[in-house]
Amino acid sequence: MKHSKIGSRLAGHETDGNENPTEVRFVRVPSIAERKLGSEYVAPMRLDPRILDQMQATIRSLETKYVETLSAQVSMLKVLVEPACKGDAEAHGRLYAIAHDVRGLAGTFGFAVTGRFADSLCRHLEQGDKSGKYDDTVIRYHVDAICDTLESPGTDSTISTETLDALEKLIAANRESMRAAG
Amino acid sequence: MTEEPTKAAPEFFHRLKVLVVEDSAEMRRLLDALLRSMGIEHVILAQDGEGGLAAFAAERPDIIITDGSMKPMDGYEMTRRIRASDRGADANPDVPILMISGHVDRAFVTHARDQGVTDYLVKPLLADMLYKAIIAATSTPIHFVEKPGYRGPSPRRSLDARLPEPPFR
Repeated sequence: MKHSKIGSRLAGHETDGNENPTEVRFVRVPSIAERKLGSEYVAPMRLDPRILDQMQATIRSLETKYVETLSAQVSMLKVLVEPACKGDAEAHGRLYAIAHDVRGLAGTFGFAVTGRFADSLCRHLEQGDKSGKYDDTVIRYHVDAICDTLESPGTDSTISTETLDALEKLIAANRESMRAAG
Repeated sequence: MTEEPTKAAPEFFHRLKVLVVEDSAEMRRLLDALLRSMGIEHVILAQDGEGGLAAFAAERPDIIITDGSMKPMDGYEMTRRIRASDRGADANPDVPILMISGHVDRAFVTHARDQGVTDYLVKPLLADMLYKAIIAATSTPIHFVEKPGYRGPSPRRSLDARLPEPPFR
């Protein structure tokens, strides 16, 4: 592998007051494509629409399985929400884990609104992890909203957006009141 | 997107070895399937940062795709260890590390950059986002810095999260 090293003069831009500029070096190495393909590689590598089509077909092929998983996860959220709100740490942890999973995957499979509610719930729980305080009402509203996106899939997106905005405001108000209370 | 794909791409993906570090079984399955649909045959899977470090040392992948939040070791700590210059053969300054995270806040992106993450993708994961990030990470020359305790992408560079298009965000 060919390495080219540039010494301290440029490296000075990288440092803060605690670093000795002479101890910082810039290094440039060939791209992975150059290393793998050698002279066969002609830069730049372009995006291939056929590959993207294959990837999107793959997502579609996994969709049926994911819908089953999502339904099971949402059913579990309904089971967990009450014990989680009553202080059951294990239920709370599992509820977050499921919401985190839904946040990451629902949008990929076309459940964008479900994913956004899960994202909002995760952020509320993460905020609570920092302060040690959670608003149970906010958690319940989120779980209800997540369930609703699956049980009433034809809901007007405007209503979903308004609900999401209302929940965001509730979270913000909750954060402010906790801050004021110290 | 350009109309004419380079002829080298299919052969390139065939030769690429990718390590996926992800605690969600569903997300691991999705990433594995997406990478294979790109023509990548060598996909190694690990469930957390510890497993990722072990797999990295054993398999020497060309690129790492990791989740941010995992237990017991998260993707940030795994990245920090890979970029730590005192870890000898286990360290690597130039392997691209793509982090996929649910956290969009600037503080998380900055923290990821400071540990040595190459690119930061915000969930939900979309096919074009993953594809573009892999192309960007593998097809351009790699620049890194070496300084006491750290060898990796410059922690001073600007790193913006790749965000899904609305309605996903």
